Amino acid sequence: MFHKLLFIMSTVLTVASALVVLLNKNIMHACIALLGSLIGIAGLYLTLGADFVAATQLMVYVGGVVILMLFAVMLTGGQDFVSKTQKLFDLTPNMGNATSYSVGIVSAALFGMIIYGLTESSLSSIPKKDIDPNLIEASTLERLGELLLTDHVLAFEISSVLLLGALVGAAIIARPDRSTSSSANTSEEQ
Amino acid sequence: MNSTIVSYFSTLPFYNHIIGFFNSLFGENGQMVFAFTVYFIAAFIVVNILSAVGGLGTYAERKISADLQARIGPNRVGPYGILQFLADGVKMILKEDIIPRGADKFLFYFAPMLALLGVFATLAVLPFSSGLALTNLNIGVFYLLAVSSLVGIAVFLGGYAANSKWSLLGGMRGASQIISYEIPVTISILAIAVLSGGISFDKLIGAQGGFPHEWFVFHNPFTFVGFFVFFTGALAETNRAPFDLPEAESELVSGYNTEYTGMRFGFFALAEYVEIFVVCGVAAALFLGGYRVPFDLGGDTLIGQFLQIGSFVTKTLLLYYVVIWVRWTLPRLRVDQLMMICWKYLTPIAIFNLVGCAFWLVKFDGRSMFNLIMN
Repeated sequence: MFHKLLFIMSTVLTVASALVVLLNKNIMHACIALLGSLIGIAGLYLTLGADFVAATQLMVYVGGVVILMLFAVMLTGGQDFVSKTQKLFDLTPNMGNATSYSVGIVSAALFGMIIYGLTESSLSSIPKKDIDPNLIEASTLERLGELLLTDHVLAFEISSVLLLGALVGAAIIARPDRSTSSSANTSEEQ
Repeated sequence: MNSTIVSYFSTLPFYNHIIGFFNSLFGENGQMVFAFTVYFIAAFIVVNILSAVGGLGTYAERKISADLQARIGPNRVGPYGILQFLADGVKMILKEDIIPRGADKFLFYFAPMLALLGVFATLAVLPFSSGLALTNLNIGVFYLLAVSSLVGIAVFLGGYAANSKWSLLGGMRGASQIISYEIPVTISILAIAVLSGGISFDKLIGAQGGFPHEWFVFHNPFTFVGFFVFFTGALAETNRAPFDLPEAESELVSGYNTEYTGMRFGFFALAEYVEIFVVCGVAAALFLGGYRVPFDLGGDTLIGQFLQIGSFVTKTLLLYYVVIWVRWTLPRLRVDQLMMICWKYLTPIAIFNLVGCAFWLVKFDGRSMFNLIMN
């Protein structure tokens, strides 16, 4: 009973916050609604027995991605700046161009494929059964760790190299350019 | 299995009577209703006691700072001024709740709530004793780190929503500082997790003993250094001096909570003081043996549980004293020094400690220094 209740609450939180993200014009409020949606997804993971994934969801998205988004929004000037410079809210409607049409077609095709895949194959092939309560209580942590370092060790290592590359790249981009700063100094001296 | 306060109650003799009573009331859902009731009551008690501890923290802060500066400190309200925090609370509730004109109202209301939410959510796994902690999740420490990252968002939003320069600067400093210092703290915790073979609090504490030589802080040289890395990083994550740049009074008036008045300011302050307690509790649990009592006095009985609570709270409050002591002793860092300490010193040291702990585990089969010397 409580599992079902928690599941429904998480679902409502996820969907309602996602709707707020779509419909809200204030981009900071949309970010906060996104936070609610991500927490709702963590709740869904938790009620389905994936405790480690749920905590990771919170850690990565709440602790990292949402703060990063808030920073990005704030440093680029927030809602006022965007609406003034990009004229987002007083655009006169037009018939669109090649880009918007192609994006629309691709996303419609993708959406259709997802709906088709969901309704045709997966739902009918999975036997319907209630969630095993023992599965909910058992931790996924040990199995996850074991699988990561045995069967999926290649993916694990590749992703770690990818993350290291991203870190080094970020450091190089953020580093002050020594050649230009030294030349600026020399030009000042001259 | 996740052991919880309910599963501790189920080992007590009168449990079956209570379940029988609940089953007669609610049919087959009786056990779940009972579990919910116990959780609710326990959570209510824990949140209220910890709020009082947070309130007393403000009193302790003022009294200890007065001691360190050869003053008297609060001494008018109650004996030794100990009811000062109640007077402060009443004052804050009665104050006018002002919202600045240009503020983002929704976020302005939302930020203090989010700070409190993030801090109180961590209390769910704080290991007061082996039986009476609210829950003992398998992912204990990881859950705690995950939900406490809400506080970073709250600090940032509080700074942004007020639409004031000082608030904004404080909020930005707060968010960047919290994100940065999460890294050495998490890696230090990981080193301990390697040694104890799990990240649930009962495994982390169960791998230690009641005496200091069985604690992880004296387990090997790497954990000894790791304790100080963890404690420094934790200080920075709670925005305490010498890392209190988000509310640097001399530059930013009061930082991210400058524009807050009344109880909304009180929420931020309360969240800070409770978070210090939580962080000190985690430090005590990971490095100082947590709730372990020498000779396991009392065992699994209720008396034993209360002895365990006493052990845990004593260690935590001693660390709490150290936090306040540090605040009133050390001057504040500059922003560049803050980032330099995190990225150039603490993070490499923490990574080195992690590798060292793994090496120690393989080389000496996970035995502690004391153990090796005695043999």
